[in-house]
Amino acid sequence: MSFLSLVGVEFKKIRRSKIFLILFIPIIMMWIPSIINADMNFDLRGIPITPENNFFIQGFMGMAWFMIPASLVICTVLLNQTERSNKGILKMLSLPVGTAKLCLTKFTVLLILAAVQMIMSIGAYYISAAIVTNTQDYHFILEPLYVCKTVCSIYAGAIPMAAVYLAISTLIQSPIFSVGIGLASIVPSVLMINTKIWFAYPMSYPFYLLMVAYGRVAWGVYETQIAWLPWLPAAAGITILALAVSCIRFGASERR
Amino acid sequence: MNIIETQNLTKTYGDFTAVSHLNLHIRKGSVYGFLGPNGAGKSTTMKMFLGLTKPTDGSFHIDKKTYPSDRVSILKEVGSFIEAPAFYGNLTGEENLQIIQKILGLPKSCVDDALELVGLTEFRKRLAKKYSLGMKQRLGLAGALIGRPPILILDEPTNGLDPVGIHEIRTLIRSLPQKYDCTVLVSSHLLPEVELMADDIGILNHGHLLFEGTMDDLKRSARAAGFPTDNLEDTFLAMIDEDNQRRGGAA
Amino acid sequence: MSLLIESQKLKRTGYLPAFLAGGFLAAAFPVVYMMVKAKELTLASGKPIAVLMSANWQMMAMLNILISICGACTMYHTEYADNGTQKMSVLPIRQGNLFFSKFVIAALVLSVMVVTEMAVLAGCAEYWFPSYVFDLTEILKTAGFQIVVTLPTVMLMLVIASACKNMWVSLGIGVILVFTFSIFPQDNAVLGLFPFASPYQVLSTAVENSRTALYVIACGIETALFGIAEVIYLKVRRCYE
Repeated sequence: MSFLSLVGVEFKKIRRSKIFLILFIPIIMMWIPSIINADMNFDLRGIPITPENNFFIQGFMGMAWFMIPASLVICTVLLNQTERSNKGILKMLSLPVGTAKLCLTKFTVLLILAAVQMIMSIGAYYISAAIVTNTQDYHFILEPLYVCKTVCSIYAGAIPMAAVYLAISTLIQSPIFSVGIGLASIVPSVLMINTKIWFAYPMSYPFYLLMVAYGRVAWGVYETQIAWLPWLPAAAGITILALAVSCIRFGASERR
Repeated sequence: MNIIETQNLTKTYGDFTAVSHLNLHIRKGSVYGFLGPNGAGKSTTMKMFLGLTKPTDGSFHIDKKTYPSDRVSILKEVGSFIEAPAFYGNLTGEENLQIIQKILGLPKSCVDDALELVGLTEFRKRLAKKYSLGMKQRLGLAGALIGRPPILILDEPTNGLDPVGIHEIRTLIRSLPQKYDCTVLVSSHLLPEVELMADDIGILNHGHLLFEGTMDDLKRSARAAGFPTDNLEDTFLAMIDEDNQRRGGAA
Repeated sequence: MSLLIESQKLKRTGYLPAFLAGGFLAAAFPVVYMMVKAKELTLASGKPIAVLMSANWQMMAMLNILISICGACTMYHTEYADNGTQKMSVLPIRQGNLFFSKFVIAALVLSVMVVTEMAVLAGCAEYWFPSYVFDLTEILKTAGFQIVVTLPTVMLMLVIASACKNMWVSLGIGVILVFTFSIFPQDNAVLGLFPFASPYQVLSTAVENSRTALYVIACGIETALFGIAEVIYLKVRRCYE
């Protein structure tokens, strides 16, 4: 069975799971306050930033810090529970499909779900920017290329974290612990990006990238250059390690 | 005396009628076999008795009480087993029963008694989610039998059991009315099974009651209607088939 | 009695360990924070506990909420995963009692968590602030206030979890609510009263704005209202199942 059709199978499994709704609601929740409080974008509190950039960065702040990791945690729970609740995993393991391959398809599904959420958030950004442009009589819409580039970099930054969450949910059978660890790991990332070892903490990557984008449009708020070294090797190492662990341990408890 | 009676009991889901104008009469102290193919409405009827689903029309009485006003007092008298696995996977078989025992306010010894009755004593310390299908089934039965309630409602209790297990459970059910003076409503889709257990039978197809009475009544009326009677399985199949054809013809 | 039963159901789900771990993690925040930024904080004006609370409580409260969400999801996951709830509904008990026992357990473990956190905060104050004098009533008052303002969130989350058979749906709704209320401005008096927003309120700020009574009363009413809503919901659900 080809990898692609396997991914198709995985998507079939999560039909009627309401997951897209759950991914979509936070995006609306994120932009409604921004639209209502749009006039606050002119109150810059001494930060050298233009209102349109402020609108964009502030809007995505909650997303990068909290909602992307939280959505990933929810998605891993979904993927796990669909397999385990009615022992679907046993059927899958008894079919001629490699467990590592199965595990990687799960990871792909996770990434696709995150990508869908990113695309929706770009769409929501443009809709709300258009609304605010009308209500505030000020041009709030940023260049598509810049927006897409920033959002894509945030998305790419979320990949190592997704691998780590997948590993956590494969290693820890008890849902309360895998979810609890996942959600609890989000909270300290605000602290982590201000320390020297932020690159060792994958949950802070998207937030870090957004803060760099913030620093570039508002001088002095944060760094303006991404510290590729030691970040890139660390991120790659974490991703590979997490994926390797999940591939080896995938379905292990069911095959005892 | 009838301990359970229904009057035109009906349940519809949208435009699908699961149970239609059912009039059942279940005698006190008898084993009543509730027979019908899959999807005939047996489980729906039993769920209505337990207050798990609300009748669309009609009514029923259990020991002169009715739902919803006497829900709790009905449930105090009824031990039930519906749709096989209903348990807490993170608890052992014994702990699952302890929960039921505490809720029903029974003495602690009831748990051992129920485990013994269904033959699970050996596995009482094992987590319920690690049970085999047959053991889950037995655990469900233990949960129904615990405290020896005066009325038992059992939905296909022998599903998933091995032949030895089926025989044990049948013998157990058969013996219950004499032993504990209780009434049993047991459903099945196998007529030979019901024949071995039940005093009275009711045959259900597409929500309609085709027949109600004793086994002898069934044979008699089948003979009168021209159905084969030397093998009860054939009688049952012929009755269902005839009803289906009539329905198909009518529609 | 039903309390004992409900706590028995939580065996082997990791419920208690998760709360303990969450409590310790939340308690670790002020310690780490003080190790890094002791100088700035000790120079800040105000009572040591108030200073520590305003520096750390945002994160600690969020952790408390998140763990409470996980707890609520787990409680109802054990009910729904193997159909246990069906067995419960054919036993002669009120569904409402079951729910309220769950709430009492959730409130108790939350209290244990908050008290642990407060104890660690007092420890931090003792260690880093030379001016600090240990005051038990102050600690207890703060702990009590923080527990009360978190209760509506705990109750609402249990209501949500009881309504959703799939754990990811209740988890998703919970996380979305945390997210939504964490991006709303905290100083708004009305928004701060909502569940998922009220746990972030700090006693010292409430005292300053003389809103303590308002918060305690509003949160008490909210908790009661959600409880009543659950009872009504259970009645309605029974009719439509």
